[in-house]
Amino acid sequence: MPIDETLAERLIGLTEMLPAPVRTASGKVIQGSVAGVKGAYGLLCSSSWVFFSSAAILFAPLIFEIERTQMEEMHKQQQRQILLGPNAAVSGSMMPPQAAGM
Amino acid sequence: MGNVMASSTPPAPAAAPTEDKAAKPVLENPGSMDELHKACKDVFPVNFEGAKIMVNKGLSNHFQISHTLNMSSVTPSGYRFGATYVGTKQFSPTEAFPVLLGDIDPSGNLNANIIHQFSEQVRCKFVAQVQNSKFMASQFSADYRGRDFTSSLTMANIDLINDTGVIVGHYLQSVTPRVALGAELAYQYGAQVPGGQIAILSVAGKYKAPSYTVSGTVGAAGAHLCYWQKSSDQIQFGCELETNLRMQEAVGSVGYQVDLPKANLVFRGTVDSNWTVGAVLEKKLQPLPFTFALSGMLNHPKSQFRLGCGLIIG
Repeated sequence: MPIDETLAERLIGLTEMLPAPVRTASGKVIQGSVAGVKGAYGLLCSSSWVFFSSAAILFAPLIFEIERTQMEEMHKQQQRQILLGPNAAVSGSMMPPQAAGM
Repeated sequence: MGNVMASSTPPAPAAAPTEDKAAKPVLENPGSMDELHKACKDVFPVNFEGAKIMVNKGLSNHFQISHTLNMSSVTPSGYRFGATYVGTKQFSPTEAFPVLLGDIDPSGNLNANIIHQFSEQVRCKFVAQVQNSKFMASQFSADYRGRDFTSSLTMANIDLINDTGVIVGHYLQSVTPRVALGAELAYQYGAQVPGGQIAILSVAGKYKAPSYTVSGTVGAAGAHLCYWQKSSDQIQFGCELETNLRMQEAVGSVGYQVDLPKANLVFRGTVDSNWTVGAVLEKKLQPLPFTFALSGMLNHPKSQFRLGCGLIIG
């Protein structure tokens, strides 16, 4: 004999498909993983901030200055090479003290 | 204190020929107690905030003046005038005595130092600070450097009217060519001190190896340990642990210093256990006698950043 059920009653009835412990356990797992992903994202954000800002303070100026000095040396070597011919560049930085400035 | 660095204490009278294996090893003067942690502390940057312009001018071989403009929102902005006089008594090519240092600002706040070396062994120093027309702090200290020991006596803030003051005595002895041990006794008396007087004793030790130095001070007030290492001509490391028993806190920090003479650069950086990072970059801008300093300090927990830049002319 067909049972008269409304749509809501049928949907509510679907929840009884799984036993209660399975339902509560899966609910907890899903909530836990959502919270975990949010927390991991927050942790990723703050640790990247700490890492990059500390690197900008501790290492960046030093690296920039070292690169700049190396480029200047290379430039000077090239100038010397152009001015005095290819053999002069071999002497590298063993030149007599140069005048102030370039 | 003065804007111009005071001359550093004289190097230990270089006693030694090579160690004679049969006889006792030659012991050198261990330096004074104030310098115990100096090599390590010099590696750490001194962060500042705001803009600073300093003009140094030497008026003669003996006399030098400096004008400093400090512009900042954290520390009060102002102008300071500083003067340094170096006398004629020379003990070594780099040091001459007496040295008089002072700086003063327009409202009359004055810091003054007088350092004089009476003989090879005895050196005296007097420091005074005047603020708002009152002597805020004054300190007199005398060091005696023996062949293998140094002892010093310091009297600070002695107030004869209110009968208060602090007296500190230091003794540091070289025990082997590498190890120095010493003690410090600090005595404070006055009406404010519970019981009228209080004395604190601490012991200090230093181990000096060819490329590293370990030094420590342990006392009732806390412990302070330092490790300094020179890894190469260009880079030095320092590691420091300070504990304060009264305030129940301890701070550990690691610092490094990179010297690049080719780039006219000195860079110092530090990381703290309070999650604070700081760095100072000093660069000489050739060919003019300018030195540019840039300081940054970031305190992560408080999310606070302090930037400072300075230009030193002359």
